[in-house]
Amino acid sequence: MDITLVDPKERKASYLVKEGESLTLNLALFDVFSTFEIDVDVERDAHFLGAVADFASGEGKFILNVHLKGEGSSAEVHSAVLTKGDSKKVYETSVYHEAPHTSGLMSNYGITRDASRLTFSGVSEIKKYARSSETHQAAKIIVFDPECDGKCQPILNIDENDVVASHAAVVGKLNDEHLFYMLSRGIDEESAKRLITLGYLKPVEQYFVSEDVRKKIDEAIEGGI
Amino acid sequence: MSTLKIENLHVSVKDVEILKGVTLTVNEGETLALLGPNGHGKSTLLAAIMGNPNYTVTEGSIFLDDIDVLALPVDERSKAGIFLAMQYPSEIPGVNSADFMKAAMNAHREKPMSLFQFYSKLQGAYKEMHIPFEMSNRNLNEGFSGGEKKRNEILQMKLLEPKFALLDEIDSGLDVDAMQVVAKAIGEEQEKGRGFLVVSHYARLYDMIHPTRAAVMVNGRIAVNGGPELIQKIDTQGYEWIRDELGISIEKEEQPMNKVSIGVCATREATKDK
Repeated sequence: MDITLVDPKERKASYLVKEGESLTLNLALFDVFSTFEIDVDVERDAHFLGAVADFASGEGKFILNVHLKGEGSSAEVHSAVLTKGDSKKVYETSVYHEAPHTSGLMSNYGITRDASRLTFSGVSEIKKYARSSETHQAAKIIVFDPECDGKCQPILNIDENDVVASHAAVVGKLNDEHLFYMLSRGIDEESAKRLITLGYLKPVEQYFVSEDVRKKIDEAIEGGI
Repeated sequence: MSTLKIENLHVSVKDVEILKGVTLTVNEGETLALLGPNGHGKSTLLAAIMGNPNYTVTEGSIFLDDIDVLALPVDERSKAGIFLAMQYPSEIPGVNSADFMKAAMNAHREKPMSLFQFYSKLQGAYKEMHIPFEMSNRNLNEGFSGGEKKRNEILQMKLLEPKFALLDEIDSGLDVDAMQVVAKAIGEEQEKGRGFLVVSHYARLYDMIHPTRAAVMVNGRIAVNGGPELIQKIDTQGYEWIRDELGISIEKEEQPMNKVSIGVCATREATKDK
């Protein structure tokens, strides 16, 4: 089953992915960013795929909690976030492994511009009895302007020995060597940033089911540069 | 015919003066082999011409005909017709090779190309450089082997059609077959009348691309200018004779291999702890 939400009015939602089923949740924000709270429970051998593309402006906290309740359940969450102006966004995406043989993957990509702030903080938690589980999270933010700021706080809470886990976080300015390389081919600085923005934000499109929404994301990337 | 004219160029890296008054002229249609021991400023000269921000020009001038190159930002230098094939091309995560090439090629023309025109050019160039076309869909240089990166540099040179191409150790990391592909591509551009300034440590590349002139850089200056026979002489005799015949002592001996080897920029290494 798949659900597509574009700038939803309802800021709170919860979903249950039943045994053996799979749910794709596509959430696209172009308008106003404010606090969101989404809870997802995933039962035995069920799969949850969450994709968030966020180009909205505003302040707030985006909270997504995925509970892998059933044995063999899995979840992946991919987000691409652009912050501009004086927006302040905090993303708290967490995956809780509450049963054996569960797997979780989170990848968060962000671009910050102007005087905006972006934080990715996520918890990957593996409970004591959730043996043979696997959890990975990665967060990357590029900070384009001197006034803006990005933070990544990936947290792993692991209470079980028999697990595979990794986390990676990178916050960086546009790399000088990379910029020089692109400039030396005649590409100006704005276009170079545009190419990097595309590279960071466009990959999330592959998880979106609706062609229309993918187009809107394309436009938002173009417009955001 | 265009001319690239460098006069009394002084360049520092982190306050260490590397170039101490380089004067050199390259004409379109010429291929100048730039020789010299490691760490004496060859790569620094090429980087300074392109405008690498880590290299500070403290004195002197670079002119491309009547264009003051030093007054131009890096992207404008490229558009004026200068191309640098880098010794260590950057891997740029997230940037798609084909998107990058399209942006670069369009930056060099007044009107953007049609998609069809772009793809046929791109495809032709990949074929010529013996690079699988699927690689145009990969991130720029990411996960490319050393040889693939170098071929990708020449591919970009072909597509951007510069007046002057500066090649910084384009042959390092290339196997014999790839070397032939690269040399052939350079040969074709030579026939189109482009100017080349080529840095290499190996006579093998020079044998294939037939430089018209050679210059030897020692202690941050051009110590000797001459014909292609200089290359042969250095290949067989090294740099010792410069001291004996010209009375120029080589201030810094070639670094031992364990310090400066493939994958290390000699200038960066020399200025590291200063």
